[in-house]
Amino acid sequence: MIRVDSDSQLVARAQGGDQDAFAELFRRHSDRVFRLALSILGQGFAAEAEEVAQEVFLKVHHALASFRGESEIGSWIYRIAFNQAVNLKARARYRRPHLDDTVLSYEVTTEPGPQSLVETAQRNQSLLECIQTLPEVYQSALRLYYWMGASVAEVAALLDVPENTAKSYLHRARQLLDSMLKEKGYSYV
Amino acid sequence: MSDTNAREAEMDNLLRRSMAAAVPHLSPDFHQVLARELRRRSETPNRFGRILLANYVGVSVVVSVIVMRGQGLGWVPITVMMIAPLATLELARRLRRWPMRIRL
Repeated sequence: MIRVDSDSQLVARAQGGDQDAFAELFRRHSDRVFRLALSILGQGFAAEAEEVAQEVFLKVHHALASFRGESEIGSWIYRIAFNQAVNLKARARYRRPHLDDTVLSYEVTTEPGPQSLVETAQRNQSLLECIQTLPEVYQSALRLYYWMGASVAEVAALLDVPENTAKSYLHRARQLLDSMLKEKGYSYV
Repeated sequence: MSDTNAREAEMDNLLRRSMAAAVPHLSPDFHQVLARELRRRSETPNRFGRILLANYVGVSVVVSVIVMRGQGLGWVPITVMMIAPLATLELARRLRRWPMRIRL
């Protein structure tokens, strides 16, 4: 029978120098760390998100001896990942990915004609720009939920907040986007 | 449905449509690259650190022995004074690790 260690058992083994335990911990959390980093950096930044994930695990490996187990190891790792991604974003002053005509394919519209396609693309681009002006946690919550299809519970776990707080992030973000789009003169209702 | 709720539902729809794009994944060799990087980072400072520490300890021991012999101390107290701090350090290191495992 295969023995599946809990995270805290793995941490204890890793703190004792067991490299296999380290590897298993990293395997368990690497996808989520990558997704969290990507949700902060945004679409078109997969390579940077991977760099963040690598840097996070190097930090975790270095600092694991000082981990006291006061929180879940996952929460600890995700907090490091969040800070690392936010720092990278601030350092890079946010190199915007080039948005080309492929944005036209983001939305399947029933309205015929190139005019409506262009309008839709413009509105979508405007929406993406508005998202980039939101606070980091709102951006992250939005991308995790709408882009990556994460559940509210997953969003809450990755942002290390209660589920109700994650829900309120999404609600507040939608409200802010609504007023921003209204200000820009876009109507979507 | 109130106007606010309707707007929120529409915004929800809009976000779903406009953010629909393929989600990238970690590259398949991510864990290998990470393992390589971990090995590289943990080996380099260790090797350098060990050489530095060995030289430092060697010079310190020689200088201390010369000074203590010059002050007329015998070999037994000199040996005790050399070994005692190292033993204390090792004991402190073990004691520090011990409660951490229990807390986990």
